Order: sequence, then C-alpha cells, then structure tokens
Amino acid sequence: MGSASMIVLIISAIIFAVGGILVSKLLFKKHNSVVKGEAYECGVPTIGKSWVQFNVGYYLFALIFLIFDVELVFLYPWAVVAKSVGWLALVEIIIFMFILFVGFLYAHKKGALKWM
Amino acid sequence: MNALLVLSIAGLAALFSGFSHNKKLAVIVSLLGLAVAFTVNVLDWNTAVRYYNDMIFVDNYAIAFTGVMALTMLLIVALFVDYKESVEVPNAEIFALLFFSLAGGVMLVSYSNLLMLFLGIEILSIPLYILAGSKRHTLTSNEAAIKYFLLGAFASAFLLFGIVLIYGVTASFHIETIAAYIKNANGQPPALLVAGMFMLIGGLGFKISAAPFHFWTPDVYQGSPTIVTTFMSTVVKTAGIAAFYRLFAYAFPAITAEWIPTISVLAALTMTVGNVTAVFQSSVKRMLAYSGIAHAGYLLIAFVSISSNPASSVLYYLIAYAVSTVCAFAVLMVIQHTTGSEEVDGFKGLSKRSPFLAFITTVAFISLAGIPPTAGFFAKFYLFSGAVKAGHLWLTIIAVLNSCIAIYYYFRVITAVYSEGTDSTPVELGTVQKAVMIITAVLAVALGLFPEMIISLL
Repeated sequence: MGSASMIVLIISAIIFAVGGILVSKLLFKKHNSVVKGEAYECGVPTIGKSWVQFNVGYYLFALIFLIFDVELVFLYPWAVVAKSVGWLALVEIIIFMFILFVGFLYAHKKGALKWM
Repeated sequence: MNALLVLSIAGLAALFSGFSHNKKLAVIVSLLGLAVAFTVNVLDWNTAVRYYNDMIFVDNYAIAFTGVMALTMLLIVALFVDYKESVEVPNAEIFALLFFSLAGGVMLVSYSNLLMLFLGIEILSIPLYILAGSKRHTLTSNEAAIKYFLLGAFASAFLLFGIVLIYGVTASFHIETIAAYIKNANGQPPALLVAGMFMLIGGLGFKISAAPFHFWTPDVYQGSPTIVTTFMSTVVKTAGIAAFYRLFAYAFPAITAEWIPTISVLAALTMTVGNVTAVFQSSVKRMLAYSGIAHAGYLLIAFVSISSNPASSVLYYLIAYAVSTVCAFAVLMVIQHTTGSEEVDGFKGLSKRSPFLAFITTVAFISLAGIPPTAGFFAKFYLFSGAVKAGHLWLTIIAVLNSCIAIYYYFRVITAVYSEGTDSTPVELGTVQKAVMIITAVLAVALGLFPEMIISLL
C-alpha cells in the first residue's frame, strides 16, 4: 500500500459520487408539474396542513421504548456467552439493567409516562 | 479510575436530588460529589494502574488533568448558586449533564485505547449538545445546540474513520502497540497510517477548536447560557487538549517528521485567526470565544516542541487559562445580569459601580493577556521557551506577535472598566459568587508567583 493507491482510491471515490449525479442529470430531463410539488402521504391527498405538531407524549413513549428495546438487543449476545463467563456475567448484566432501571425511574418520576 | 466511578454516581445523585423540595440540595450534592471525586483522584497519585483490560491507564498525567477538570467544575457549579440568567432546565439536570460530560473528560485524559478516546469524546459531547440548547425558548441557544450537534457528529465521523485506518494498518487500538508498530517501521510508516493520523488531527482539532475547524466556536459559545460557555471553554478544552497531547506523546512520537509541519501550520493559523478576529468583536462573550481559539493555538505549540515541552507546561498553561477564564466569565455573568448586555460598553463605569469587580476584571484579563506577575505570563513563557529550545523560532515569533495583538483586545475591556459610564448604581454580589472571584483571582496571581508548584508535578 503506497500513497499512490490512496490517491487512486480517493479520486475514484470522488468520480463515483460526482459521476452518478452527473449521469442522472444528463440522461433525464426534469419535468416539473403542479402535482409533483404537492404534499403526499401514503397515497392519500392530505387534509388540512401536514405541518402540525404532535403531542410530545408520543416522542417520550417512543424514547423510553427505544431504551428498553436496545437493552434487549444487548441481552441476546449476553445470553450466548453467559454460561461460559459464569457468575460474573450475571453480576454484570444486573448492574447493566440496574443502570437502565435508574433511567426508567427518573422518567417515571418526571411524569414522562403520564399521558398529557 | 475511582474518580470516574464517583463522578458517574454523583451525576445520578445530582439528577435525583432534583425531586427533593429543597432547591439547594442539588448544588450541595454536586459540590460534595466533586470534592470526593477530587480527593479519590489525588489518592491514586504515583500508582499508575491499568484498568478494564488495559482500556484506561491512570498515570500521573491522567490524575493531574482529572484534578484540574474536577476543580474547575467545582468553581463553575459554585457560580450556579448566584446565577441569574434564565436556564429553563432545572439545575439538578444541568449538574447531572455536567457530571456526565466530566466523566467523558476523565476518560479522555486517561485512555490507553483509541476506542476509549472515541467513547470519551462522545460522552463528553452529547451532554454538551443538550446543555448548549438549555435556554429552550431562545433562538440563539437552539441554534448553538443544533450547530454544535451537527458539526460535532461530523467531526466524530472523521475521528472514527481515522481510528479505523490506524487499526487497519496496525491491527490494534492500543496506543502503545501502535507506537511500537511505528517504531518497527523505521521512519517509513504506511501511507494509510499517516492518513489515519491526519483524520485524528481533524477530529480532535474540532474539539479544541483549532483553525480551520473552529467555525462552530463563536456561535456556540455565544448562544449557550454563559455558565455552559464557561464549562465549554475550560473543562472541555482541558479534556480535548490533554487527549490530543496524550495521543501524540504516546502513539506517534516516532514519526514527528510526518506531523510537525502540519501542526505548526495549524498552530500559526489558529493563533492568528483567533486573535485577529477577536479584535473586531464588540461582544465580550464572543471575544472570549475567539480568545479561546487563540489559546488553543498557543497550546498547539507544545505539540510541535514535544521534546522540550513536557506535559507539565501544557498542564500549567491549561490551569492558568482555566482560572483566568472562569474569573472573566464570572464577572461577565454579573455584567450581563445588571446591564442586560454582554457588550464591551456594558463594562463602562464599572470602577465606580464596584471597585472590587473592577479589580477582579483587571486581574482576569491581564492574566489572559499574559502580563507578569500573573499565571498567564509564565504559562506562555514556559511554552514559548520550550518551542525555542526545540528550534521552532519562526513559530515562536508568530506566537509573540499574536500575544501583542491579544493585549489590544483584552485591554479594551480593562479601559472600559476604568472609563466614565452613564450608570452609577452599585453592583450587588452574592457571597459564593464573590468567593469564586476571589479564589480565581488569587490563584491567577499565586500560580504566577510560584509556578514550580505545578511545573514540578509531571
């Protein structure tokens, strides 16, 4: 690996990125129409403004759900190696879940789980 | 390492103390947590133990910088007691975020594995993105948060890519293994490794706001609540510089020829951009942001002359800078509260309104400018004399010229303080606020009189 191959890599990366955009610009003509500029949701024309604010509760629930979802993702690889690591693994996972539980406790105390 | 545990637990404790009806509890818990963390940290002195499968190496270097950061944060949390600017998030949560950020900082100064460097940067930064936007209903604060977040994520990507390239060549994340690999290459390191190193320079350069990666700094510093800006320009800068220095002192000392020219240019550019732009600022907060950039430039000189500039001169410089910056920001907070502006004109007539504040301002800005007998002078003295010893004469000349420019804009504030103002109502100061100002001002002078206290540490 010399510096020459680095330069070739960088140049080919730039050509690949810029080339794609250029080719699509050259090959296809732009057709702008009124319909294309319209807001579009799931194949149904929108009723009213699509720029409305949702209740912040949705985000809070989603966030808290995500934390425990990710916790589960970590539990799978733990379960695979738990037997070979032994008691230490159990202690480690309890500490890990305790930390997440503290976070959950905080969210609960703040009233994030009450629907506003 | 114990400091890391104490800081994390103290952060959680501060978070939950917010539920108490006693509003002062969060401050007390935080101050206590920091004091315990500092003590536990100092007890590890001269032990040099490797933790977590050699992920973290707590040597004296790590302990010294952790101590500086903990003490600086102690002063900043103390300033919160009399803090009047509206931060629309409960204090307890601010403290918790500061603690988590500091925990990231501790990882940054004690890592021996590049993964910990990356993790440390992320743990340091993510609470800061939130803190920058903690004046939720102010547009500039929102702007600061989103700008910091987007650019910070971009810089992290660079850092990570650099780490990946280095791993690709050396098959190791460990900085000592990387150093050994480079030594075996006999001054002919693979191009990929050098490319990875430059990406690390880019990523870390962003964190310490070195030009040309500094564009976020003024807007973020100005938009954030002043107390958060104080934290960013002291603790975060200390962590960033210490991580940067650790990387080059441990991993890349064998290929100085590859990075010294780049860092020299970076240093010269950062000093000049920071100082020259600071001259044109009318807002003191923004001026201090540019002055922070300039100080990062001076500190980069220590990297270039790494052979004759030991870590102790970097440590001393950072302490001197942190002490004077906290002092300057403490005064700025009072001015902001009493006059409602952060412009230089807000300082006018301060000597009539409060001779005490006028004196503190003078000490803080004289120390920042680097005039004897303050710590700022000796910090620059050690740094520049190390650079001359290493033969970087031209870089030192640029640095000295830049210091002259710096005197101009720092003294603009001091002259404003002693000029006639329209307002002559006396300024009320809180007890804790006053104590922090006295401590920092005394330290700025005392460290200048006895620099050996710090220099002999490392």
